[in-house]
Amino acid sequence: MNPNVEEDSIRNNPKNTVAFWTKEKYDFRILEHMKPAIEIMSPAGSRESLSAALNAGADSVYFGVEQLNMRAKSSNNFTTDDLPAIAALCGRHNAKSYITLNTILYDHDLQLMRNIVDAAKENGITAVIASDHAVMMYARKRGMEIHISTQTNITNIETVEFFSAFADVMVLSRELSLSQVADIVSDIRRRNICGPSGRLVQVEVFAHGALCMAVSGKCYMSLHTHYSSANRGACIQNCRRDYIVTDKATGYELEIDNEYIMSAKDLCTIGFLDKIIGAGVSVLKIEGRGRSADYVHTTTTCYKEAVKAIHDGTYGPQKVEQWMQALSTVFNRGFWDGYYLGRTMGEWSESDESLATKRKVYLGKGVNYFSKQQIAHFLMESNQLQVGDEIVITGPTTGYVHAVVSELRVNGLPVSQAGKGDEVTIPLGTLIRPSDALYKLVDNTRRELVQAE
Amino acid sequence: MIRIIHFREKCIGCNACVELAPGRWRMSKKDGKSVLLEGEDVNGIVTAIADDNEYKANLSASRTCPTNVIKVEKIVRKS
Repeated sequence: MNPNVEEDSIRNNPKNTVAFWTKEKYDFRILEHMKPAIEIMSPAGSRESLSAALNAGADSVYFGVEQLNMRAKSSNNFTTDDLPAIAALCGRHNAKSYITLNTILYDHDLQLMRNIVDAAKENGITAVIASDHAVMMYARKRGMEIHISTQTNITNIETVEFFSAFADVMVLSRELSLSQVADIVSDIRRRNICGPSGRLVQVEVFAHGALCMAVSGKCYMSLHTHYSSANRGACIQNCRRDYIVTDKATGYELEIDNEYIMSAKDLCTIGFLDKIIGAGVSVLKIEGRGRSADYVHTTTTCYKEAVKAIHDGTYGPQKVEQWMQALSTVFNRGFWDGYYLGRTMGEWSESDESLATKRKVYLGKGVNYFSKQQIAHFLMESNQLQVGDEIVITGPTTGYVHAVVSELRVNGLPVSQAGKGDEVTIPLGTLIRPSDALYKLVDNTRRELVQAE
Repeated sequence: MIRIIHFREKCIGCNACVELAPGRWRMSKKDGKSVLLEGEDVNGIVTAIADDNEYKANLSASRTCPTNVIKVEKIVRKS
């Protein structure tokens, strides 16, 4: 029997679906058969991130094609010509592939939208993520699977019912509490709300990544000040800067110094992922198509491990602490638990920059890999590398590789340190390529020390 | 005379240039990006020469473009 069919029949049997839930204690009983069905969906804003996500074991990836997606400006978007290669790569990793087609659309965008849906269909992309009704209507006509984007802001069961005429998977609004999510999931089962595929509608939520100061997808700030519409994928994130507030009556100016009033901290749910899964969520989405391969690799790995730990019954505070440590090494603005646990006010980030505890310093590029000896050959283009340094290699095919330098050779001779211009060889268990970049990881606090001196 | 340059690849089709300088810009229904009218395309960079009276409108289009892909410059004649 096809394992996917088995999984679906378990997931969609209403008898199996009720998560026990008391609002006061957030006490969820996770039913045995629900556990394996959790899908980790990772962002792929570039080739590097795509490979990193797949290598880290993402169950699905989402990416933008051309300009009609919410990272039209910031990420390194793919074109329709890239679709055969992306579909083939995802196929090899047994991962689903989703195209984000979720900006607001004008009349002049309709033909491009149709071309993207057609290309997605022809190349065997799993689904399009849509927010505009025109996309839903056309994709439905073409028989393309549709997922509803966070831009649509689904906050109640009847909206789920409305969109079930088009979509099989729906992400719920990021502003819902976990009890609201759980209620919607149990109502989907009770009312037997099925998507076009005939299966029950699956609920997706955001598990990790940036949050918006506004209700997601309803922000006008970037357009208002810079004519750069967030809803056309061109958000300039001006909510993340510092501002001076003037009292109109007296003219007094108050600087909102280092305590930004609008920049939300990043969502992190790994500490209560059991509750999220207990609420009956099927898909966990990681935000970050504007982020680098190391972010994608680390977040995907942590959440995959967490889902597995929940499955194995080994999920607990010790593991959560390890994951939190790993997650804080990559881009973040500080973490909070979003709105899921019923907080009424947002928590705001004190910094517009990343609070990652480690940062990457560029060293050089890949030259060659000697498979038999498992030796990687790099050309150093800047900075120094020492034995014992933590290194990161990213590339379009390689994705993300993390290692510690155990031995370092220049021109075949062992050295303790190498610098700019040196051709170095390092023992490495993973194949690297000339298209790869080599970085070392340093503590992020070091930069401040240098500035203070 | 002025020169208008459009680096078309990074256009996200927001329609701002068409609103501000409708005489010089149209939205393409083919690929959803804007088109510089009477422009000459050399490897994706489109250039048009226009009268001075179009300077103001196209300068606002240039300043407004969210992806900064429109440049407007005055052509200085050597005499």
